[in-house]
Amino acid sequence: MLSKHLRSPEPTASNDAAGAAPAGAEPVLDPVALARLGELDPTGANHLLERVLRAFQTSVNRLRPQLDVARGSDDRAGIRLVAHTLKSSSASIGALHLSQLCAQIETAIRVDAPADLAGPLREFDPALDGVLRAIETLIKDRP
Amino acid sequence: MNARSIAVDDDLPEQPKVLLVDDDEVNLLLTSIALRERGFAITEAGSGEQAIAILADWLPDVVVLDALMPGLDGFETCRELRVLPGFESLPVLMLTGLDDDASITRAYEAGATDFFVKSTQWSLLAGRLRYLLRASRTRAELERSKSRLARAQDLARMGSFDWRRGQGGLVFSVEGLRVFGLGPNDVLAFRPLLRMLTEDDRGGLVQVLHEVMKHSTVLATDIPATLRDGRARIVHVEAEPEFNEHGNLVGYSGIVQDVTDRRMAEDKIRHLANFDVLTGLPNRRQLIWRAERALEHGRRLNHQVALLLIDLDRFKIINDTLGHGAGDELLMEVARRLRSCVRHSDQVTESSIESLGSRSHRSLEAVGRLGGDEFVALLPEVADERDAERVASRILDLMREPIFVGGQECFVTASVGIALFPRDGVSVADLMRNSDVAMYSVKSAGRNSASLYRPTLAGMGREKLELESALHKAIERDELVLHYQPKVDVRGAKMVGAEALMRWRRNGVLVPPGDFIPMAEETGLIVPLSEWAIREAARQARIWQDNFGFADSIAVNLPNRLFERTDLVEYIHNAVTTYGVPHHAIELEITETGLMKDLQNVIPALHRLNEIGVEISIDDFGTGYSSLAYLTTLPISELKIDRSFVRDLGMTPQSSAVVTAIIALARSLGLRVIAEGVENLRQMEVLHRLGCGVMQGFLFSRPQPPEDIEAWLQQTVLPRKAPWIGKAGTADSEVAEVLRFADGQSPRIKPAG
Repeated sequence: MLSKHLRSPEPTASNDAAGAAPAGAEPVLDPVALARLGELDPTGANHLLERVLRAFQTSVNRLRPQLDVARGSDDRAGIRLVAHTLKSSSASIGALHLSQLCAQIETAIRVDAPADLAGPLREFDPALDGVLRAIETLIKDRP
Repeated sequence: MNARSIAVDDDLPEQPKVLLVDDDEVNLLLTSIALRERGFAITEAGSGEQAIAILADWLPDVVVLDALMPGLDGFETCRELRVLPGFESLPVLMLTGLDDDASITRAYEAGATDFFVKSTQWSLLAGRLRYLLRASRTRAELERSKSRLARAQDLARMGSFDWRRGQGGLVFSVEGLRVFGLGPNDVLAFRPLLRMLTEDDRGGLVQVLHEVMKHSTVLATDIPATLRDGRARIVHVEAEPEFNEHGNLVGYSGIVQDVTDRRMAEDKIRHLANFDVLTGLPNRRQLIWRAERALEHGRRLNHQVALLLIDLDRFKIINDTLGHGAGDELLMEVARRLRSCVRHSDQVTESSIESLGSRSHRSLEAVGRLGGDEFVALLPEVADERDAERVASRILDLMREPIFVGGQECFVTASVGIALFPRDGVSVADLMRNSDVAMYSVKSAGRNSASLYRPTLAGMGREKLELESALHKAIERDELVLHYQPKVDVRGAKMVGAEALMRWRRNGVLVPPGDFIPMAEETGLIVPLSEWAIREAARQARIWQDNFGFADSIAVNLPNRLFERTDLVEYIHNAVTTYGVPHHAIELEITETGLMKDLQNVIPALHRLNEIGVEISIDDFGTGYSSLAYLTTLPISELKIDRSFVRDLGMTPQSSAVVTAIIALARSLGLRVIAEGVENLRQMEVLHRLGCGVMQGFLFSRPQPPEDIEAWLQQTVLPRKAPWIGKAGTADSEVAEVLRFADGQSPRIKPAG
């Protein structure tokens, strides 16, 4: 019971996250999603947000070369697995656009293995890069 | 959704252990943090392979598996863990994508307990996990209680069954099938079940079922079934009706139980309670029950009932000489013969008495065993006493045939006492007592006969009768004891033998010999009593021989009628052989009067006894009228100076004259002489001077239990502490005076105090 009182009812992390995005444009990392992450570590004592974002970076560092290899050999299953993994992890950190792209790729392959992936794959790289940049900014800005 | 919504289940472990398997670092990190926050203990695995490795030596409460993973994916991981022992029912939650129906199906196929669509709604995930845990716990408990029930049913040889009206009949549980000797895959329908019953039982069961169904009542019945393997079992069936919402009977559900063993045990108990184990005859309890029923009938139908009490003669001797095994054999044969004397019925029950009508009391007719060698024949209807006497003489006739037991031929006779209802008593107790009185009158008159109860018999005096009856049982009940009085060589100050004297310990009190020996003589009981004394003395001689090297004789008093028995020599031989002591360990004392009264009949026995080394002592010598002519030729070894002469020593000149004469006689016949009743030093000294060196009397020791004799030897004789030790032969003035008196020279002297 005691812990309930100690927790702040409404986290404020969402404001911080929103501020990390360029003013005027739609933020790369969804403030609502970031706020939900913040709920898991209301006081920030666990540096949760930072750990999650670093985990995402690590994950990307592992997956990107896998994706490149799969793309080079047109290994649809390999592409699909990377897209599947990135789909949920990017959603977790609020990278909704990237998550949607991944879902698109994954679904396309599942529904129709030889589907034309040129469009979504083209969009994929800049989107991922944008997310990585936003992460860097967010980490740098944090105390 | 936040930390506030944490629900704490009382029935779940404090921190449920979760194995979280996801290849995505971000998701793994987030999910584990979210679940830890909600009270779960998380162990992370980054791949299916890692998860299987962790599970090799650890059992979580629940596993959360990401469905899509490189390498071993969630489905494969689930499949692999399901075949691990102990993981068959572990709850596994598969994480799938929202739009992935195929994964959901595959998840169930792979053995997942449930699926969960990946989301960041952590509380939902936590809630789902708690639900899974609770369901799994409930399921485990159900499994446990199911297996406990199965085990309990198995132990109780019990199983359950269901019957639904109009729905294809009976369904038995595996345990239920086992009760009927069937395997788990067998089916037992109603008809094949009926075929396990005999035709009669089948009809009975169908009738019972109809009745029960007609009234929608509880079914409870036992059915004797012959199983397919031929085993005969008794199956108890108990079932309750079940009704639908309209109150109509829809079926029965209940249990079947193999109660064969219980039934057999109950029958056995009933049998043990009512029948004698050795002979299989009705026991005392059953006999009394039958007799009471017979009296009721007699009263109602106005006829006579006879009770015959049959007591074997000298059974104790057979038991003692041939052993209890032979005794039991004999009782069984006697029981068999007695059964043939009446229309014996083994089984009588309350209900059969009721159902057989007015002549039903005839089935009460039986022979039973009251205990020991006592039997009873119950004749539920006799026209007169001659009927009963006819049965009695048939019994006596049948006993005349020799019985082979213990490899030898035995002759057994019986004494039968008859009492009639209502003439000799109106209650079972009265009839038992009066048939007992009649039976004892037979014993007194010489046994091997039958006698009707007569009121004059009771005139013998209740007390005497009771005493006699009790004495009759004294040997059987081990109430007799022998006390011993040492025979002392006064010069050597040592024990040179002992006289055995019988005592009767009745209800904890020692009955003086004077109160029962005359009666024993009168009733003939003295014979078994003496025989017992011989055996007991032989036994004691052996104990003393072992304890302190006793090598002398124990003298047993025998009535002259025992010397007439042709088997006396053999009896003594058996007794000493049994205990491994020499023949001379037993010495027999016969009174002078008894000897002379029956001299012609006794002499042959004396010769035979002498030949085997058993010495004869003439007791109370000097009080009777011995034929001196015979005395010279009799094979006797010892004369015992009667206590009256010893008592009067120094008081009357005649006494010392007689003592002197007896000693002289003994010396000239080459016989030992011993004085009894020696109570003081003066008597001892006089006897010694006169030439009698062996004595017995209170001066030395009272008759005592055998162990006290040993103590007396240890504490008095060996340490030479008694006042009489060392006195013999030391003449002082007082003794000199006594001696002068004994020679008739002195005036009187005061008796020693």
